[in-house]
Amino acid sequence: MKETITIQDIFKTIKKRLSLIVILTIIALAISAIVSYVVLTPIYQSSTQILVSQEKTEVNSFSSQDIETNLQLINTYNVIIKSPAILSLVIDELELNTTAAALTNKITVSNAEDSQVVNITVQDPDPQKAVDIANKTAEVFQAQIKTLMQVNNVSVLTPAVLGDNPTPVKPDPMLNMAIAAVIGMMLGVGLAFLLEYLDTTVKTEEDIEELLQLPVLGLISNISEKDLQSTKLEVIDRRKRL
Amino acid sequence: MSNNKKKNKTLLTAARKLITTANSKAIVSEQFKTLRTNINFSMPDRETKTMLFTSASPSEGKSTVAANSAVVFAQEGKRVLLIDGDMRKPTVHYTFHLTNTSGLSNLLTGQAHLEGVIKHHEIENLDIVTCGPIPPNPAELLGSNRMEKIIGDLKEKYDMIIFDAPPVLSVTDAQILSNLCDGTVIVLSAGKTQKDALLKAKEALIASKANILGVVLNNYVLQKDHYYYQYYGVEE
Repeated sequence: MKETITIQDIFKTIKKRLSLIVILTIIALAISAIVSYVVLTPIYQSSTQILVSQEKTEVNSFSSQDIETNLQLINTYNVIIKSPAILSLVIDELELNTTAAALTNKITVSNAEDSQVVNITVQDPDPQKAVDIANKTAEVFQAQIKTLMQVNNVSVLTPAVLGDNPTPVKPDPMLNMAIAAVIGMMLGVGLAFLLEYLDTTVKTEEDIEELLQLPVLGLISNISEKDLQSTKLEVIDRRKRL
Repeated sequence: MSNNKKKNKTLLTAARKLITTANSKAIVSEQFKTLRTNINFSMPDRETKTMLFTSASPSEGKSTVAANSAVVFAQEGKRVLLIDGDMRKPTVHYTFHLTNTSGLSNLLTGQAHLEGVIKHHEIENLDIVTCGPIPPNPAELLGSNRMEKIIGDLKEKYDMIIFDAPPVLSVTDAQILSNLCDGTVIVLSAGKTQKDALLKAKEALIASKANILGVVLNNYVLQKDHYYYQYYGVEE
């Protein structure tokens, strides 16, 4: 027995189980909405920019080697900022109830497009705390770098500030709901096809002809009460008219 | 108790399903007329006088289809006899609102004559033989020589004899009857009949040398874009 599935079959299956697919999509949407808005704690983000300026040793001698050295230096700074040496001081000064390892995960250090500006980005459930940690880290780094690397070329470019109405960076309810809707819909379609595949009943003329090689003599629809009653009503109508 | 209630209810619904007399303009009535045409064409030599309606498993709509087919054949002008061959769960007398005091079982046991058990229906050309008192040995009665003789006698008097038979897979009666009849029609319910059950029923009927005319697909869900709707649109 050969099994061929046409596009019409696929549409028919989807149409038949449309309610199932829609319900699953809505359920997935609702769950993700609840999780995003109620369960997950919103995380706020705050960032400080620090500038690592060039030490002017020789004027007009910008070689590519110098730039490379600078970039290497910035990479070193990145590691230093996230090191426990700096972060434990931050924890001490802010009296945070956390460890340096945990704080490392909250901090992201990046330098914007090979520039000498370093971004320190902090994510925390408390927006004020995120600002404090970002500023304090920059401050401590600025102070510590002098003794660590004997340089004095770090200055804070933009300190982190707490906005009037801070918006959380994650969770993103819209994105979560969109993902959940797509997953719910795919699940529904998958389930619809599974049910269709598991259903071994005869449904169409094609089924019969394929299975039995017998002609279909007739198709009889379900006899509805409406069909049975309509003539009775007609008779009553006629009587009324008479 | 509840079982009894349920049975009564199903019998009542079966009794109400005589659509071809209730509403001859309904789509379903039209479908029965198409079925009649197709059966007529499937036996071009007009040799098929006795016909059997059966199904693989119970309650797929055999009795409803058999009764309505008998009505449409009678409407065509044929002299039709509908015999309730289901001597285990007879329903024909419910469908046509007849008494079941005497019928096929009396005839087969020799307690009655043909004239005594044939009941005339208000529809012209349609006669009915109900099941009669339910006998303990339906299969033996149906397989008896007397049955063959009765069918032979009836063929003289009628253009078409329609049997309403029990399901093939439940009891052997349908196999016996299908062997005696010129044609067998399998009724199946869309979305209910299992494919393997249908195959087994077909094999059983072939084993009893039945001449299977074809299949009637009952409870078929008519698509809104089906040609019936396009042509004889149902006013909503």
